[in-house]
Amino acid sequence: MPHIVRVFLFVTLVWGAAATPAVAQVDFSGVWAPIMHEDSVERAAGPDIGDFLGLPINDAARQRAETWDASLLTLPEHQCKPHPSTYGFRGVGNLRIWNDADPESGQIVTIHTHIQWMEQKREIFMDGRPRPPDFAAHTWQGFSLGHWEGPVLVVETDHLKAGWMRRNGLALSDRAHMTERFIRHGDLLTHVYIIEDPVYLTEPLIKTNGFRLTTQVGNPPYPCKEVVEVPRDAGEVPHYLPGQNPYVTEFAEKHKLPVEATRGGAETALPEFGRKIRK
Amino acid sequence: MTFRLAVAATAGLLVFLAAGARAEQGARPSVTPVQTPVVRSLHVQGNVWMINAGSVNVAAQIGDQGVLLVDTGTEAAADAILAEVRRLAGDKPIRYIVNTHAHRDHTGGNVKIAAAGKSVISGNFAAQAGAGAANAAKILAHEQTQILMLASGPLGVAEAGRPTDTFFVEKDAFYFNDEAVELLHQPEAHTSGDIMVYFRKSDVIAAGDVYINTTFPVIDREHGGSYAGILAALNRIIDITVPRDKEEGGTYVIPGHGRLADEADVVDYRDMATIVRDRVRDAIGRKMSLEQMKAARLVRDYEGRFGASQGTWTTDAFIEAAYRSLSPARPAAGAR
Amino acid sequence: MKVHDIAGPFGRVLAAALIVAAMVPAVLAQGGRGGGPGPQAAQSAQASAPIDLTGYWVSIVNEDWRWRMVTPPKGDVASVPLNGEGRKVADSWDPATDGSCLAYGAAALMRVPTRLHITWENETTLRIDTDAGTQTRRLLFTATAPPAAKSLQGLSRAEWERVASRGAARGSAPGGGNLKVVTTNLTGGWLRKNGVPYSDQATVIEYFDRFPAPGNSEWLVVTTAVTDPKYLTQEFVTSTHFRREPDGSKWDPTGCRP
Repeated sequence: MPHIVRVFLFVTLVWGAAATPAVAQVDFSGVWAPIMHEDSVERAAGPDIGDFLGLPINDAARQRAETWDASLLTLPEHQCKPHPSTYGFRGVGNLRIWNDADPESGQIVTIHTHIQWMEQKREIFMDGRPRPPDFAAHTWQGFSLGHWEGPVLVVETDHLKAGWMRRNGLALSDRAHMTERFIRHGDLLTHVYIIEDPVYLTEPLIKTNGFRLTTQVGNPPYPCKEVVEVPRDAGEVPHYLPGQNPYVTEFAEKHKLPVEATRGGAETALPEFGRKIRK
Repeated sequence: MTFRLAVAATAGLLVFLAAGARAEQGARPSVTPVQTPVVRSLHVQGNVWMINAGSVNVAAQIGDQGVLLVDTGTEAAADAILAEVRRLAGDKPIRYIVNTHAHRDHTGGNVKIAAAGKSVISGNFAAQAGAGAANAAKILAHEQTQILMLASGPLGVAEAGRPTDTFFVEKDAFYFNDEAVELLHQPEAHTSGDIMVYFRKSDVIAAGDVYINTTFPVIDREHGGSYAGILAALNRIIDITVPRDKEEGGTYVIPGHGRLADEADVVDYRDMATIVRDRVRDAIGRKMSLEQMKAARLVRDYEGRFGASQGTWTTDAFIEAAYRSLSPARPAAGAR
Repeated sequence: MKVHDIAGPFGRVLAAALIVAAMVPAVLAQGGRGGGPGPQAAQSAQASAPIDLTGYWVSIVNEDWRWRMVTPPKGDVASVPLNGEGRKVADSWDPATDGSCLAYGAAALMRVPTRLHITWENETTLRIDTDAGTQTRRLLFTATAPPAAKSLQGLSRAEWERVASRGAARGSAPGGGNLKVVTTNLTGGWLRKNGVPYSDQATVIEYFDRFPAPGNSEWLVVTTAVTDPKYLTQEFVTSTHFRREPDGSKWDPTGCRP
């Protein structure tokens, strides 16, 4: 091979390697503990009925949540549901992240996440594979494609099952789409997620969570076996009829908040709303 | 689960299903317009594939003994569905067609697809079946579906597309392609003659229109459907399905319309249908008129997902069907 | 295969240069907590900013609403890792002091429902004004800072954390990056409006990240870690999000009680 050709090939090879996105990739591998310094009451013990503060929900979401009955969760078919990926990162379990790399190129093909509670296992595909067709099954964790923007991992997820944005009946539909950003600052991980749902949101819902890197190795299993907890008539589904849930205003009364605030809506997240209700 | 996607046909015509006359109950609750330009498929699991033909789904069970199809889509999509079956099954013969019910968007391809199949006809029944019977796939359905297809109305089907084998009890079953195939009759649900097809080894249910996830439940009262029957069907599906783990996977359910589902999806839909039933019953008990019910937007929380303001199955049409189906029967009306 | 097998003497030199060039972005990309921003060029902080934080931003309060939008009841310290001493101080809060400027110090200011106006005061000072409490923070990029007395906003030292790769977010310079701010010299104040304390020994580390989102919106997330050996058992970490606004038409300064 002529000398100049070999030089050219080598330069191309090295330059190509330098230009791959891999140079900015950040390794998120490890076990991360959720930092519960935000919304700890809601995220651990659970939210109150009727607490929709600050969430950009529409009237449909409000009606659905105000007719929701927590007894629904006693039905066997509801007992072992994991959190969907649109909520799981707000949960209390540790988050484990690991990578699968192509053995030849070393490129990351899949980033796995596993949240302890109910074994929320997820694959984020980094190889740009095509999305499943619209008539394919939806899953709790959805179908996720990732890419890098600098050192930030950006993930787009759809094919989600109908889920929830808060554990008090605030629903998300199976048409929801989620965009996430994983941002690492040393041993802190800031996880940003933005949910669009044409069924239940008036504007994208954004949330941010913090995690701290631990020295733990993995997450233990989380088996779940459904049982009949309450004898019921076949086909019974607990719920309240519209306008008949006696607990809807309990949260507002307990915390001396205006009911108009607790019923949520995009405007309740703005500083001027706070000023208005403080007057 | 892997999926395979193929475009089997790209040209087509917008086909509206027979609109039918508006019955006294309100809009005829058939289905939304069906487009037939694209037919695609995905492997569900085991022997079963899901073929998505526009807005309608067809299930295909494929094995050494040949092909069993659940429903045949619209007439306009028949060629494309056949092509997709050939792509999936090669030259294996189509042995059976099972019609889940009589609506034309599920039986429209019967004539063409049955004619492309072969049956094993022999023994004492050969003469009874006729000389040409071996040159077509058998068409299985519930007797009530056959009755609807024999009628001269919008559900009528040419003789070559009518059921060759029917049953009139709760269940029929046979063994095909190394697994039990159960035909489960669900009386007075979407229509009078619905059956769900349960592939026991593959662990897949082809539900027909007793479970769809595109709209509110479609209750064809004109042809024997009822709200109670739909709910009974949904609960029966949930009784059969067993999730693999964490309420996901395991038994899959192919809906008549919409995306592939598992138990959690059916539960979500069943919950909605039950909650709506209770609200409509309550409104009936409070002597609300139909118009008051529509104005009250009883299903506001589900409209964004399952409702429609246009087409053949609007939210108002659903509310009207629910209202009439759940109202106490009047002696003279005899309506379900 | 060895390098000299491919390229010969000239190639060895070239290859070495290219390998170094290839490694530089990877090294720069490791900028993280505790890692420096790498050698600065002669450019000013303003000229070399990898992301543009200037403009108007508004808090979107959908987290900790009950502890931010309104003054929580006395003793409600949910989510804050207070030690016994901190708890004692919180429990002794006088509700009559609600509205005090102590709730607008650097350790808490980004968490207050507010609008931010971020501008370059000069080439090495990024200024953050808030309409809530009418506060001003100055983030200094200079290598040395003038000695200062302790204050509510303290002394904030800023540095860009850069990455030198393709694929930066909208609003970022090629390569992107984030802003890291370390604030000391604080007089102490309240983490919340109900007197949950931080002391004059507190240190605040912040990371400012900017990114686009669906609907053509732009967002700023500030991750804040407050360390206080006097009142906290561990770092108090929050992340607070702001949406970019087109202008200052909704700017509405409100004061606080000194």
